[in-house]
Amino acid sequence: MTSAISVNHLTRRYGARRGVVDLTFDVAEGEAFGFLGPNGAGKTTTIRVLLGFLRPSDGGATIFGRDCWHDAAMAHRDVAFVGSEPSYLGEFPAAEQLDVLAQLRGLERGAWRRLAERLELDPTVPIKKLSRGNRVKVGVIQAFMGNERLLVMDEPTSGLDPVMQREFLVLVAEARAAGRTVFLSSHNLPEVERSCDRVGIVRDGRLVDLTSVQALLASHWRSVNLLLGSVPAPETFALPNVRVLAVSGQMVHLMVQGEVNEILRRIARLDVRDVSIATPDIEDVFLGFYEGPAPETTPGAAAQSGALR
Amino acid sequence: MTGTVFRLEFRRNRSLTFWLTVVVLVYGAFIAAFYPFIRDNAKLMNDYMAAFPKPLLAAFGLEGSLSDHGTFFQTYIASMLWPIVAAIAGAILGTRMVAADLDRGFIELPLATRVDRVRYLAAGIAGQVLVLGVLSVAAVGGVLVVGAVVRAGFDPGRFLIEVPILFLFACALAGLTTLLSVITLSRATSAGVVVGGLLAMYLLDAVSKLQVDLDWLGTLSAFRYLRSTSAIDQGILPVGELALFGVVALATWGLAIWVFRTRDLVA
Repeated sequence: MTSAISVNHLTRRYGARRGVVDLTFDVAEGEAFGFLGPNGAGKTTTIRVLLGFLRPSDGGATIFGRDCWHDAAMAHRDVAFVGSEPSYLGEFPAAEQLDVLAQLRGLERGAWRRLAERLELDPTVPIKKLSRGNRVKVGVIQAFMGNERLLVMDEPTSGLDPVMQREFLVLVAEARAAGRTVFLSSHNLPEVERSCDRVGIVRDGRLVDLTSVQALLASHWRSVNLLLGSVPAPETFALPNVRVLAVSGQMVHLMVQGEVNEILRRIARLDVRDVSIATPDIEDVFLGFYEGPAPETTPGAAAQSGALR
Repeated sequence: MTGTVFRLEFRRNRSLTFWLTVVVLVYGAFIAAFYPFIRDNAKLMNDYMAAFPKPLLAAFGLEGSLSDHGTFFQTYIASMLWPIVAAIAGAILGTRMVAADLDRGFIELPLATRVDRVRYLAAGIAGQVLVLGVLSVAAVGGVLVVGAVVRAGFDPGRFLIEVPILFLFACALAGLTTLLSVITLSRATSAGVVVGGLLAMYLLDAVSKLQVDLDWLGTLSAFRYLRSTSAIDQGILPVGELALFGVVALATWGLAIWVFRTRDLVA
């Protein structure tokens, strides 16, 4: 099956400055893929290459098998895109610009109307008179008003209130239910956690991890706090993936990595008065990638080690 | 697709077109209304002008009597109003679609759709052509209409020859600005270079007339070829000048499209 997105050893430099270096990953059709990284990591550069705005310095990328640079206009037939700060023409109302963009995408005029009502946007107001949140809504409407097979979104919800962010997640879920592919660049980690199957994490232009959201969370440490009926024997928690941080009488603090079944079995044999297990949120996981020096391994290797190609 | 982009550009150009047309019409009407006074006092004016050195007058477009229709149009419209209007229109229109829209971030929206870059910029250039055509007609039309009202005796057929000359001169400026805008991706740089270049050419033309042995400098100036007298006074179609401006316009627009097709878009 053709991948929705295929990025193959993609490097893009800006003169002496690096943009992205040797990125390799695929996004399968129907998948929701989160592209994570801080500002300047290379997320927007990658998206600009995917959309044919930038020519790769090395390697390349395809969308549904079409080269993103040489065959950009054809590739765009299957793409709906919204940037991080879509700059519409301030003097014109949203309705007019959404109509133009709809026509350029081969959609009917007014294709945006249902979504505008749903997101409570007044489309008759000139863009420059809209609040930042409402301008972002225009971008979200623009992204979801069609039925292209691939949605490419670059931090689409920054500026949206929590209610609209939730509505955005519903829209993503609906798009996925319709079989559409989602490529979501973000540093809103909970949003990615809730909407994506897999994530690619970029740091300093390189891909440092490429994995499923579940695997990413599972491979990291959980904090387990126990209040027991009696003092446990010292070897009770002796497992390779368990670190005992503190035993203070009947109170125990453990850190557990990955597989949890065995430790749960051992805990079940004890007289447990209380228990709390804190799963790290993706933010903790994400920050873990930004501790320590920049990676020296090639991200292509990271992609292959993730065995997800 | 191309039609949609053209309509958008048409919509964006409306305000600029309207106000520049008003300026051109009002100025042309005012000057034309003034013409009978010049004609009726031609001898007095010619005697007054004779007090100035001829090269100095020529440097500012005054070659002949102001009561001659060609000299009149050349002095007040072709050498004065039109280069300013054409430069303003060229700088705004030529830089907006690529350099300005890239700077503000708008260009990513249409170019992420199925419209390709060639058609996108071609539609924008078509919008430029339309605006410059309207302004060229207005520049001559205002003079002709008010000239008829005040019985100036202007020959409409000969004056209308000026329309393509003014139009192609403006197109050449817009084409050059568009090309620079695509190359530099900077609105300020491309508009600055074209407007600065136009001023430099004006000076070259003036110097070449003040200093006879530097006449060759004038051949480097666009103003040497923006001449109305032969068309209006003798009814001669300036084919060479038309071809020159036309070739520059087509070449620069064509090159702009070619460069735009293959260049990175980074603000």
